[in-house]
Amino acid sequence: MELSQFLQNVLNGLAIGSVYAIFALGYTLVFSILGIINFAHGAVFTLGAYFTYTLVVGQFENNGLLKGINLFPNGSPLSGNPAVFALATLIGAVVAGLVAVLIERLAFRPMRARGAEPLLALVSSLGVALVIVNLIQLLVGAEIYNFPSDAYGQVQPALSFHIGDRVVIVRTVQLIIFAVSLVMLAVLGYVIGRTKVGKALRAVAENPGTASLLGISVDRFILITFFLSGFLGGLAGTLVGTAFGVAGPYFGVTYGLKGLAVIVLGGLGSIPGAVVGGLVIGLAEAFVPAQYSAYKDAVAFALLFVILLVRPQGLLGRAQIQKV
Amino acid sequence: MRRLALTVMLGLLAGSQAEKVQVPVPIGIALAQTGNVALLGQEQVIGARLAEKHINAHGGIGGTPIKLVFQDAAGDENSAINAFQNLITKADVVAIVGPTLSQQAFAADPIADRAKVPVIGPSNTAKGIPQIGDYIARVSAPVAVVAPNAIKQALKLDPKIKKAAVLYAQNDAFSVSETGTFQEAAKAQGLNIATVQKFQTTDTDFTTQVTAVLNSGADLVIISGLAADGGNLVKQLRQLGYKGLIVGGNGLNTSNIFPVCQQYCDGVIIAQAYSPAQPGAANQLFVKEYRSQYKKDPPQFAAQAYAGVQVIADALKVLDRQKKLSQWDLNDLRAALNKQILAGKYNTPLGEVRFDKEGEVLQKDFYVAQIKMKDAKNGTFVYLK
Repeated sequence: MELSQFLQNVLNGLAIGSVYAIFALGYTLVFSILGIINFAHGAVFTLGAYFTYTLVVGQFENNGLLKGINLFPNGSPLSGNPAVFALATLIGAVVAGLVAVLIERLAFRPMRARGAEPLLALVSSLGVALVIVNLIQLLVGAEIYNFPSDAYGQVQPALSFHIGDRVVIVRTVQLIIFAVSLVMLAVLGYVIGRTKVGKALRAVAENPGTASLLGISVDRFILITFFLSGFLGGLAGTLVGTAFGVAGPYFGVTYGLKGLAVIVLGGLGSIPGAVVGGLVIGLAEAFVPAQYSAYKDAVAFALLFVILLVRPQGLLGRAQIQKV
Repeated sequence: MRRLALTVMLGLLAGSQAEKVQVPVPIGIALAQTGNVALLGQEQVIGARLAEKHINAHGGIGGTPIKLVFQDAAGDENSAINAFQNLITKADVVAIVGPTLSQQAFAADPIADRAKVPVIGPSNTAKGIPQIGDYIARVSAPVAVVAPNAIKQALKLDPKIKKAAVLYAQNDAFSVSETGTFQEAAKAQGLNIATVQKFQTTDTDFTTQVTAVLNSGADLVIISGLAADGGNLVKQLRQLGYKGLIVGGNGLNTSNIFPVCQQYCDGVIIAQAYSPAQPGAANQLFVKEYRSQYKKDPPQFAAQAYAGVQVIADALKVLDRQKKLSQWDLNDLRAALNKQILAGKYNTPLGEVRFDKEGEVLQKDFYVAQIKMKDAKNGTFVYLK
């Protein structure tokens, strides 16, 4: 393989992989604290993009109950330059975080209170995802929405580098996603590892019973976990939306299965693992030649299988100590 | 005991007695109202509703109004089968318009055919749909007829084109069928196929395919996919530096791709089975009605669903003149309606439409359009001569 082709594949892989990583971060956070997979995460991710769209554009098309509504006939105050777009993205993410808190209260806490199996929580989260997806369609239809093309200001759509006579190119928006996923990882790592809130979260993850004996309000910290997860999901939804458009109510749900593979590969509950897992799967997919792209998923999952044979705990996961 | 037996026998007799046609006349609509193709289905629902409104405002079927009975066929085969069964057995419809996808039609149409209920496919364009059975017809012209026009038009715009890159969504039966037609047409026009790239309708990132296209040196790109994936592909081709012409298939034939590829949609060439510019009176009425409600030009999916309902209503009008619809036995009417649909000639928004004896649509006019974007959000299909 030529150097330029190799570099192009690496760039493509990092670009796809950072989308997977950014999705999986919120997934893994809930798993690390509660030990459950929250399938509603994909729907919250979608909601984040729709909330930001509402703030930035606020115009809905021909279908759904909100059809024909235009919140800002004279243009939204939250659009026009990258700084206000960032603000709108943050507000959208906060609202998505609040939705995640609501999901915890309505779909997870009642089940926990009755001592239900973790598997039942998973089914309940699937139900929530279905409700949200259909609610979105009911309200705004199945149309594709998109953010203004100058959301990040007047940047070039793609950057290219010359290697000899060959060109290696990457879309600017994907560099932005890559950078943001690294920043999110760093901030999350700091919050979990260095702050008091993080310490309490880790205590709850270790053993909820003991944590509550030590005066930590377990339910409150679970709510904080869901808020963080929803916030990250909502933020990721907007970012991915700026790259690919908000392709209807199912937009985020399609990342659900890939996200699951990512967190298993990276190590269940490991936060750096989610990022590494996302990038590894992205790279594996990028090196599948395009004429075999049907086997892209097969390659990703085969890789998952091989890695799990060697490291059953995932790339960065901790080995489970069997407590008899 | 004897009385009980008598009651049962009477009941059986009543059950076997022929059912009459309901008033208002129920026409079944089985389209994707939810699920992942609701984007197309909701356009079709609009078209069907406009047809119902127009027909009933103009006296219905000889004074008897029609009533559309909606059953959500979603985007999968099972939902389409359920919808068909409900419409046939519970709603006692005289005919069905649906389903949205060819893939669903292959699963659900045989049920209607066995029950002898006429079906009009509003958007099923794959090969072999009318051949499913005697009771199956369609108003959506097959890809083999529509697609080659776009390549001819591209060569007219740029006669220097030599090498084509072909991309298609391999998990969509329609796109696979369409790309076959495109590739044959490209070869027939003397083009060299430089590369064939596949993707999934659920894909969003096409950097790998786009870089392969750029490396192949192609000066024409031909895409068969749906709105979201197709739009993203167009956008990424342009952002990563592709400069040549782009031909899009029927899946991209919707203004829904505008929000996806935004200003990069500009210049995409699309072959169409419907044009708002079609001058017929039926179409101009439809366009006016659609524009006044939705402030944009009607898409092909809405026009075809409208035509589907209209064909059924027009055929019913002929039968109603022979004998009032309410006096028909339901099964007799369904059989007679099927014959009448195939026999008639219809002035629909698609232009003049007839059927061959298998139920394949015979349509007079086809169009090629090029997308012109006014800004990042608003665009139009400009018709090429």
